[in-house]
Amino acid sequence: MDPGPLNSYLPTLIRYILVAVGVGVVMVVVYRVQIAFGVRREAATGRALVMPWVIGFLIFNVFTIGSSLYLSFTEYNLFRPPEWIGLQNYQELFSVSFAPLESRNQRSSDVLPPRYREVIRVEVGDGGFVFGAREDGFWRSIKLTLPYAFLSVPLGLIGALGVALLLNQKVRGLGFWRVLYYMPAILPVVATALLWRWMFSQNGLINSALSPIYTLFGWETPRWFTDPALAMPAFIIVSLWGIFGSNSVILLAGLKGIPKELYEAADIDGANEWAKFRHVTIPMLSPAIFYNLVTGTIGALQVFEVAAFIQTPESVGTFLNWLIYQEAFTFRNMGMASAMAWIMLLIILALTALIFRSSQAWVFYQGAREEAA
Amino acid sequence: MTTPTPTKALEDQSRVRFAPTPVQRVNIRRIVVYGLLILGAAIVLIPFLWMISTSLKTPAQLFTGQVNFIPNPAVPANYLEVWTQLSSIKPGMTFWRIMGNTLFITILAMFGEIFSASLVAYGFARFRWRGRNLLFAIMLSTVMIPGIVTRVPGFLIWRELGLLDTYDPLTWPSLFAWGPLYVFLMRQFFMTISAEIEEAAIMDGANVVQIYWHIMLPLIRPIMLAIAVLSFQGNWNNFQGPLLYLSTPELFPLALAMRFFDQSLSKEAPLWNYMMAMATMMALPVLVLYFLAQKQFLDGINIGAVKG
Repeated sequence: MDPGPLNSYLPTLIRYILVAVGVGVVMVVVYRVQIAFGVRREAATGRALVMPWVIGFLIFNVFTIGSSLYLSFTEYNLFRPPEWIGLQNYQELFSVSFAPLESRNQRSSDVLPPRYREVIRVEVGDGGFVFGAREDGFWRSIKLTLPYAFLSVPLGLIGALGVALLLNQKVRGLGFWRVLYYMPAILPVVATALLWRWMFSQNGLINSALSPIYTLFGWETPRWFTDPALAMPAFIIVSLWGIFGSNSVILLAGLKGIPKELYEAADIDGANEWAKFRHVTIPMLSPAIFYNLVTGTIGALQVFEVAAFIQTPESVGTFLNWLIYQEAFTFRNMGMASAMAWIMLLIILALTALIFRSSQAWVFYQGAREEAA
Repeated sequence: MTTPTPTKALEDQSRVRFAPTPVQRVNIRRIVVYGLLILGAAIVLIPFLWMISTSLKTPAQLFTGQVNFIPNPAVPANYLEVWTQLSSIKPGMTFWRIMGNTLFITILAMFGEIFSASLVAYGFARFRWRGRNLLFAIMLSTVMIPGIVTRVPGFLIWRELGLLDTYDPLTWPSLFAWGPLYVFLMRQFFMTISAEIEEAAIMDGANVVQIYWHIMLPLIRPIMLAIAVLSFQGNWNNFQGPLLYLSTPELFPLALAMRFFDQSLSKEAPLWNYMMAMATMMALPVLVLYFLAQKQFLDGINIGAVKG
């Protein structure tokens, strides 16, 4: 039921103002209480000022993450109260099975245990193997999301580095190029997802433009997002278009920040272009590369809009974030969705930890080295 | 790209010799650099131009199987027709209503986000207190938490409060500095302001509210502008939040209206001209803002990346 514009805007606006006043009151109270307990004014003020974030953090992070962990051990469909089922959601998710194939024409369902469905089937020679799972949709989504992140992030970074190096060649109209290259990143993802679905559709721009090549080689017109072999490359192209420009602007700022003296010193030592690139540019740029790598990986694992607007066939699966969203809000399996979300959180934490751990070996922080020296 | 350069005269002299001189080598290098830059620009621009071109086509021009960037005839009326179509499915989904919804959410969220982030950043940057560095590290690490983890319980909280299908979940939580990145950017900026300014004000008997309002806010205006642009863009483009909390089509912002329209169309021959008209309309305000405030925008991004 539509409550009408006024009745939908006004109550929210009133509550918005009340909450703002409430936050202000909390800040004052926190300040007063600390002063009453003899805390220095400076410390009391500082703590009072960060209160908006602290309250939000407690409600929207600590409480929700705790609840999410709890829900992941329950079965909950919104209609009945959550029912504690222990590790059952996780057991279900990790019910996977490897089965060898005895011959090529053996059906996957014949070798897998009952209720298990095929996720990956590899045929080698006259045999092969099948990887199956009870929650096959989840594993298919992992199979799509992880390789997507592992391919799109480094490719995007290499492309971005190339563009940044180009832009650093004393080009004219640098401002113009920067603005242009950054543009895809500011466009609404919803709009670009639709745009790419249109471009990759059967009669879309890409197939129309490439049709002479298809005819030349006698290929069939590809159906990008609906072809199991081509969906992933198509998604990667979409992501590269969205990020390579913006990453290059960030890397360019890093390049501009490298002191000229370092290159002059390298010149005196007789270094060639490659040596300068390898031993001056890359180390000095490593913090910016690191930043892009971390944020890029976290972002790529959470693709959402693209998955919401571009449907893929069941055999391809869908991106993890969208799968979890559907599990929770389309199928109302709040418990199972929370378990999946937790696995996603752990994947992200593990990857970030890995990048951070490795960064000690390859990220060069000027300040830190100077302090150590 | 052949703009006259100071080396032009030198270049003409060197034409008579055959072996490439350093100047010629520089020119080859320039041609390669600009060639690659133009190629990159084409990659960036072609999809964008295709969106605009499609938005001006008639349905008959859509599925010709040929590459045609200039629609003939061009139909700017698509931009009105798409709204007629949409309100024929749901009478309440008019242009003004959907734009109003989008702006309402965007402005409230943007204001809350910037204002609260500036307070929190001020507290983290300009005052010394025990636990500060720990809290700041915790704040930054929340960037790693995927939104979907907090989304299910978040949904349940709003359901408990009876505020599903209202704008509340999308607007006032911004008052709790929900964007750690913005706090981080502002903190970096606050730290560059010299302490003497504050000390002078304290000597004059100013309290912290006065210092924040009369001294700090004017000083941090550049970063506030940068964050305002980033925040407008982020909230205007937001899809996940509205998708989760809003279910009445008349309340939808543009991003959801697009999905609604998309799903109402036939799968076999979607009216891409209307969809692209809508996509262009959604992109336009962000693009205009981006071109007007490009310096602030790119600076804002770079502060986060390089000084981090």
